[in-house]
Amino acid sequence: MIRHLFTLIWNRKRSNLLLIVEILLSFFVLFVVSSLLVYNVYNYRQPMGFDSQNVWEINLNPGADTTAFNQKLQLTMQRLKAAKGVVGVTKTSSNTPFSFSTINGAYSYKGKQMPFNDNYDADDDFRDVMKLNVVEGRWFDRRDAASTRTPIVINTALKNAAFPNEKAVGQIFTDEKGKKEWQVVGVVDSYRAASDFAEDAPMSFRRRALDYDMTKKVSTYELPVLLLRVQPGSGAMLEQQLIKEISNVTKGWSVTVNSLEQSRVSKLKFVLTPLIVLGLVCGFLILNVALGLFGVLWYNINQRKAEIGLRRALGATGAGIGGQFLSEMLVVTTLGVILGLGLAVQFPLLGVFGVASGVYLQAMLLATLIIFALTAICAWQPSRIAAGIQPAVSLREE
Amino acid sequence: MIKLTDIEKVYQTKTIETVALNRVNLSINKGEFVSVMGPSGCGKSTLLSIIGLLDEPTGGVLELDGRPVKSYSDKELAHLRNQKIGFVFQSYHLINDLSVLDNVELPLLYRAGVGGKERRQRAHEALDKVGLSARTTHFPSQLSGGQRQRVAIARALAGRPEIILADEPTGNLDSVMGEEIMDLLLTLNREEGTTIVMVTHDEHQALKTERLIRFFDGSQVG
Ligand SMILES: Nc1ncnc2c1ncn2[C@@H]1O[C@H](COP(=O)(O)OP(=O)(O)OP(=O)(O)O)[C@@H](O)[C@H]1O
Ligand SMILES: [Mg+2]
Repeated sequence: MIRHLFTLIWNRKRSNLLLIVEILLSFFVLFVVSSLLVYNVYNYRQPMGFDSQNVWEINLNPGADTTAFNQKLQLTMQRLKAAKGVVGVTKTSSNTPFSFSTINGAYSYKGKQMPFNDNYDADDDFRDVMKLNVVEGRWFDRRDAASTRTPIVINTALKNAAFPNEKAVGQIFTDEKGKKEWQVVGVVDSYRAASDFAEDAPMSFRRRALDYDMTKKVSTYELPVLLLRVQPGSGAMLEQQLIKEISNVTKGWSVTVNSLEQSRVSKLKFVLTPLIVLGLVCGFLILNVALGLFGVLWYNINQRKAEIGLRRALGATGAGIGGQFLSEMLVVTTLGVILGLGLAVQFPLLGVFGVASGVYLQAMLLATLIIFALTAICAWQPSRIAAGIQPAVSLREE
Repeated sequence: MIKLTDIEKVYQTKTIETVALNRVNLSINKGEFVSVMGPSGCGKSTLLSIIGLLDEPTGGVLELDGRPVKSYSDKELAHLRNQKIGFVFQSYHLINDLSVLDNVELPLLYRAGVGGKERRQRAHEALDKVGLSARTTHFPSQLSGGQRQRVAIARALAGRPEIILADEPTGNLDSVMGEEIMDLLLTLNREEGTTIVMVTHDEHQALKTERLIRFFDGSQVG
């Protein structure tokens, strides 16, 4: 029977070739769709690298009150730290978690440019407020004040890109021209601040004072932002109290307070919208592939109704016919999938999307499963229907 | 061995109803050679496909070896078609994607316990009998109408069935070849005891068989 199957497949090579091409193309579409799906699910399941719960963000704008900005900010931070219900306070740049602003650049290491990375400004308290996870070296502290090079803490992704087999602490990055220098003092596991779906991409924290001369022109995006860790369960009461504390020091400044969890939700909505649209397009694409495949296979099997009738007349059972067509399609699908895999393998080899190769491998697996399931249904269903008809009836279909 | 009681077959199309068989009563004994004659469209092929378990009658009872065919399961029917019956179709029905040899082997493929070697050998024997041993690797599209008809006959012989149902098996053959096939069937009937029901338009051939049934408009007329 197996020999008969292969004889049949070989003798029908012309129409099978068409099927293989259809399966190959379908597989490819499914593979690309699966890659996107796996990529996003993979990112979503990665640890964020920080804890955004019970963290509040305070944006301050001095407006016309430009005198002694830094001193007033300093005093405000002291007052906030002392307030009951506040666990910690840190000063950072405007690209806070889930915000819509980014600051990025590329370091050079031994004259070689590194991949682009996001940069975040941080002070000595940032780690405790955000509950970062330092895996090598240390976080910023007083010792860094005297440093001639800007101290930085990088994430594991940047470390792996720059010096995968060496210790990161003590390494020095420069800018393109080799003039500016940054020294690594520690490594955190990850910091995916952009959104829940952000990739665990290279990034660094820079220890910077963020002192500005407000009498000169300073853009709002350059204004420092405060992040506060508050006691769990803190609410509007604490918020009112904190705003009062701030107003006592800073009279005319405008103050806004919102929680990182709120920002997280609104950023999620923002990121999710295109993903949902993409998902719909992908769903539509899969539906099209399924329909296309179904059409081709259905046509193929319908053309062979007389053959089905004849085989039934010669003694094949209905299940036997279903099994034969299923096996035939399985062989043809396998050939198509092998070709498709050959093509798909180029993606990780050439690094097409710059995504971890594990993503592609899982996508290949997923696409393979889907395509086999589709062809199995497409081959089984029509041949079963055809086999259920009286042989004399299907024999007339020529 | 084959018994038809009040067999009726009505084809229902959108516009008209065709009564292809009208209350046919017929009994065919083991080892008989029966020929069926009648004008075109009188229901001969319909009769054969009902006896051959390829279609269900719309009325009446068909019995095979004393058991009503209705009581057989799908699997049992498949088994009967494979083991007991050899069908020669009026329009051959060869699989175009298979070689002559593979076509002839087909009934044996669905028979448990027949190995590839035996299949091949029996197919060669059957092709030999119809004078086509030189055409085994050809495909149906490369054969003449008469040659295709002989392949269809060889396929029915290869399974060595108890009953052969042949729908105008010599319809496309010249008189010499037709005689040869007729002799083949007669020998099979005489020496192996094969029961044969043959539809034919050839009075001369029909007279060679032990029993002749005439059909007209779906009914037996003699
Ligand atoms: N599937 C069908 N649908 C409708 N009518 C049919 C069908 N098959 C056969 N018929 C009708 O049934 C009648 C008997 O057909 P059948 O094929 O049995 O004739 P026949 O005696 O074999 O004729 P011929 O000698 O030309 O082969 C015909 O009138 C035919 O039109
Ligand atoms: Mg006929």
